[in-house]
Amino acid sequence: MTKSSDRTLQVLLFASLRDQAGWDEQCIFIPDKDVVTAEDIWHQLKLGPRPLSVQIAINQQLVSPLTPVQIGDEVAFLPPFTGG
Amino acid sequence: MKLHFSHPLLVVEAMTRKPDLIVEIHSHSFDPWVQLSDWSSNAAASASFIGRVRPAAENGSSLEALELTHYSGLCEGLIRQDAERLLMAQGAKRALVMHRVGRLLPTEVIVLVAVEADRRGPAQRCCMSLLEAIKHQAPFWKKEWRNGQGSWVSGNTPL
Repeated sequence: MTKSSDRTLQVLLFASLRDQAGWDEQCIFIPDKDVVTAEDIWHQLKLGPRPLSVQIAINQQLVSPLTPVQIGDEVAFLPPFTGG
Repeated sequence: MKLHFSHPLLVVEAMTRKPDLIVEIHSHSFDPWVQLSDWSSNAAASASFIGRVRPAAENGSSLEALELTHYSGLCEGLIRQDAERLLMAQGAKRALVMHRVGRLLPTEVIVLVAVEADRRGPAQRCCMSLLEAIKHQAPFWKKEWRNGQGSWVSGNTPL
């Protein structure tokens, strides 16, 4: 059985989201339910509704907001890209 | 994987052939002309793009510096995926991508993209498509510094 203290994942924020939240990386507890999605993790961050332009990556792969997360995942929230 | 060659010259060619794709993120300035010279082969056609920091911010005021951040790992992976797809789709042979992160001053080089092919069309099309892919699909973010204040750039400049 997984202890509640083990049910964590790593959340990364970038650029304007870092400024908004005041942090860039945090260990977050996964809610105790059967399926937890990346969108559920966003709501847990209390940063308001997720702008549609904010993309999500799990373990360095871009995914849809409804992709389930797993214990130990790296979940990143990415504002619109402005490179080049 | 073990490679088998039927002729000694093929062994030499395989050992000396330059890689088809190089993607590098640099935290320090680089000279694009030196990099191009080192990377270039004798391909029949080549196209390249060098992007530099503008002296003006998005709102037209004077820019002190541009700060670039990226999501290490995902960024390089996505550029490689795009480059491999575009080289194949455009029929080009080799590509070089070098991109800066960190604090850049006006006129410093942000990005170098170069492509080699057998003909000018594939080289030019692939270079342009790869640059656009980097601008829109690679996780880089720019922050403009003016009068000691930083603000995140909201979007890419028009083509």
